[in-house]
Amino acid sequence: MKEYLLLMFSAALVNNVILGRFLGLCPAMGVTTRLDAAVGMGMATTFVMTVAALAGWTVNTFLLAPFELGYLRTITFILIIASTVQFTEMVVKKVSPSLFQLLGIYLPLITTNCAVLGITLLLVDAKMSILTSVLFAIGSAMGFSLVLVIFAGLRERLAVMDVPRLFAGPPIAFIVISLLALAFMGFSGMGVS
Amino acid sequence: MDKFADSTTDFSAPTMVEGIAQVVKIEGKTAWLVPEQGSSCGSCASAAACGSKGVGTTASRLDNRRFRIDNNANLAVGERVVFGIRDNVLLKASIAAYVIPLATLVLAGALAQWQFGSDLITMAAMVAGLVIGLGISRLEARRLYIRGDLAPLFLRRARPGETCNQ
Repeated sequence: MKEYLLLMFSAALVNNVILGRFLGLCPAMGVTTRLDAAVGMGMATTFVMTVAALAGWTVNTFLLAPFELGYLRTITFILIIASTVQFTEMVVKKVSPSLFQLLGIYLPLITTNCAVLGITLLLVDAKMSILTSVLFAIGSAMGFSLVLVIFAGLRERLAVMDVPRLFAGPPIAFIVISLLALAFMGFSGMGVS
Repeated sequence: MDKFADSTTDFSAPTMVEGIAQVVKIEGKTAWLVPEQGSSCGSCASAAACGSKGVGTTASRLDNRRFRIDNNANLAVGERVVFGIRDNVLLKASIAAYVIPLATLVLAGALAQWQFGSDLITMAAMVAGLVIGLGISRLEARRLYIRGDLAPLFLRRARPGETCNQ
């Protein structure tokens, strides 16, 4: 139990997907202008990343590895992620059209989110068991969501600040996320990776 | 100091997530609306090169997201209106749609791993857990819908040229 918690802690904070691995930077800058968009995107990414990790592990273990098709891994995983997004969209729409109206807009963006592909490929390279893979994916996605929410909160405050004209908009956002990355570097000495 | 933001701004005050939609149909006291949405990312500086924009704005996708509100303001077809949902509704909806299936997926996988110690059985249990979780989330979504928690509210008519990012 303890090792699973440490694994998730490590994935979320020590090796944060945005501030440690520099993956998923497009949504980090793009959907963090509003806190509600960041929450929606974070939750949707968590779901898709977990299901994609499960599907990726299954396909790799029972199809790619036994038939020595490792060279098809990247393209296969892109297909898996796109299919997972479509599946999620269909399921949310079927489960509740009202939820789909609220949350559906975030799903297509995940197809082009390199963090999902990056984590799925990383899990295969790490040769983890299925439970460990899924927990690592959840931890990574929680770290991703955490950074989105923190950054969105900061940007909502920045929007009402009187920022010097030279720094207004994306420049001050880059400075803020740099400071956030420095803060997250504080976790790197914890050695639980 | 007055060059900087008003320090009395209350960021913890309950807010409403606003959006703009166009009235496409009137049925008695009900108005059907289709949301206007450039992209969920709020159109960053790279919007022209961003793949998400094309995916998120097709007419069919927006048409799929049409919703209805009570037409107490005598809206007409073609009018643009500002609608809102309560801030915590998105969180409740996200929990219902995503967190419940994930929780059952992990719980089923952990139980199977603990009981059998086989990756194959764990995988099957996770898939079963996901399906069960989706069933539970459907019930929860229905409960939220019946309570009216997910319903968008009409706020006002949109100003000419107003967009959802302003």
